[in-house]
Amino acid sequence: MIDRYSFDTREEFLGKLEELVESGVPKKNINTFTPYPVHQAEELLDHSQSPVRFFTGAGAVTGCIAGFAFTIYTVLSWPLVTGGKEVVSINAFIVIAYELMILFGGLTAFAGFLFLARLPVFKNVLSDETEFSRQFEITVERGNRK
Amino acid sequence: MRSAEERIDYYRTAEEEVLAAMRKPRPVFWVALFISASCFALGMGLWVYQMLKGMGVAGINSPVGWGVYIVNFVFWVGIAHSGTLISAVLFLFRAKFRSAFNRSAEAMTVFAVMTAGLFPLIHLGRAWYFFWLLPYPNQRLLWVNFRSPLMWDVFAVSTYFTISAVFFYVGLIPDLAIAKRFQTGVKKKIYSALSLGWVGSFKQWKHYSKLYMFLAAFATPLVVSVHSVVSWDFAMSVIPGWHTTIFAPYFVAGAIFSGTAMVITLVVPMRKILGLYKHITDDHFESIAKILLFTSLLVTYSYIVEFALAIYSGNVYEQGSFLYRLTGDYKYFYWGMLFCNGIVPLALFVRKLRRNIAFLFVLSIFVNIGMWLERFIIIVTALARDFNPYSWGLYKPTFVELGITLGSFGFFFTLFLIFTKILPVVAVTELKEVADE
Repeated sequence: MIDRYSFDTREEFLGKLEELVESGVPKKNINTFTPYPVHQAEELLDHSQSPVRFFTGAGAVTGCIAGFAFTIYTVLSWPLVTGGKEVVSINAFIVIAYELMILFGGLTAFAGFLFLARLPVFKNVLSDETEFSRQFEITVERGNRK
Repeated sequence: MRSAEERIDYYRTAEEEVLAAMRKPRPVFWVALFISASCFALGMGLWVYQMLKGMGVAGINSPVGWGVYIVNFVFWVGIAHSGTLISAVLFLFRAKFRSAFNRSAEAMTVFAVMTAGLFPLIHLGRAWYFFWLLPYPNQRLLWVNFRSPLMWDVFAVSTYFTISAVFFYVGLIPDLAIAKRFQTGVKKKIYSALSLGWVGSFKQWKHYSKLYMFLAAFATPLVVSVHSVVSWDFAMSVIPGWHTTIFAPYFVAGAIFSGTAMVITLVVPMRKILGLYKHITDDHFESIAKILLFTSLLVTYSYIVEFALAIYSGNVYEQGSFLYRLTGDYKYFYWGMLFCNGIVPLALFVRKLRRNIAFLFVLSIFVNIGMWLERFIIIVTALARDFNPYSWGLYKPTFVELGITLGSFGFFFTLFLIFTKILPVVAVTELKEVADE
């Protein structure tokens, strides 16, 4: 069974949320739906940092390594001196590695977000049951969740 | 502090007023779209003409091998930069006035990069060989030259386009979920699909906030790197007037300056036509005018430093190059540039003028013209006069180049006009958040 509380203002919503948490309702049973991110709710329900950062970091490091590896591989596969510069011109390759670091980091951050937020939700796309509302809502799942 | 009723009322009106812009267009929209699309069609026609006739129809020659096409490329990449500045940098600095402009600025970024991306292809002549720029294992296993700044450009601009587009889309997701409420039928399905089934749950917002922060944090150094790389297309060579260490910050400041001006040029009529006075206020314009003034001062300072570098270098070619800018064949362009970018924006020190929207609009057009002239001056004057008087020459754009330039404006404005009709032009979610703070 799910209890649903709906509020017009952020203050009422936060008041109820605090009350629920203090009354001992397990945090994992509480979900909120808000018109914009409410950071105080995050403090009440879940202090932990979003793992999006791991996806971002992994992507950025991969991009940087890929940038250097790719440029060095290509120049060594056909070593041709141009402009009197070294074949492996690290200074020049920094630019490529830098751009790929940002590209991969940004894309993996987005992919990580989709994965963690379980998006897209096709059920909501196909039916109009749940809508992004103007209201601040709290849902509480009663009973044990497995 | 607003009462509960006022707040709900504000939420409702903010949604309705912003999304009202997406309703059936008024005649003025169709007129604007027709003019823009016609300019774009003219540009495309002239591009086809150039492909059929060859590059001889353009005015570029030896020694001035880079003309208006490259000027336009730099100009449009510059225009793109302010979108990222307003969205990402002001987000990181928690500047609340960004919420009035960020959506249109982000759209502008994406469209301006798309416009800019056309110009290297146009300049190539045989545009169908553009894929030679991409590093792929071809038949003879010859790779592109990663030591060339032009190759850095390919990576910088394509990364910039991709990240800007992702940033733009991510910002739109909650607003698309609002927009779908106002739609019916197939349109509702399309907006639902684009909003990915967003419901604003705790988990969604938690990861979303982090993602947005990371994208902003990536976009900020990206914006600096992209125009630095564009400036290195020039500064890495030994041509007098180009070979200088100030180029990267000088270009980045110029890019933000011109982009901010373009945001004003677009948002002033948009606010009037769509009646968004409540959400884009004179206070917002005053804040953005301060950015314009600040970047104008940076750009003017760069102009002075460029001359100082030439004078103190003791190098006769450097000095000759800058003297040529002041007194040579393109002197009117140079003085026009100084007037538009250095003198006119000084008026923004007066508070009344910063809040005078008509004045801001006219000023922004001056800045757009001034920044286009700046790129022209940098590129053309340096090539027209290099070391050896025997190889000096002049450049005059032909009707094909000017027509394609007009076409690029047509392309940009066509995309922007379509944007105002199919997507929420102001970030509604952020308006609500700011209103509650």
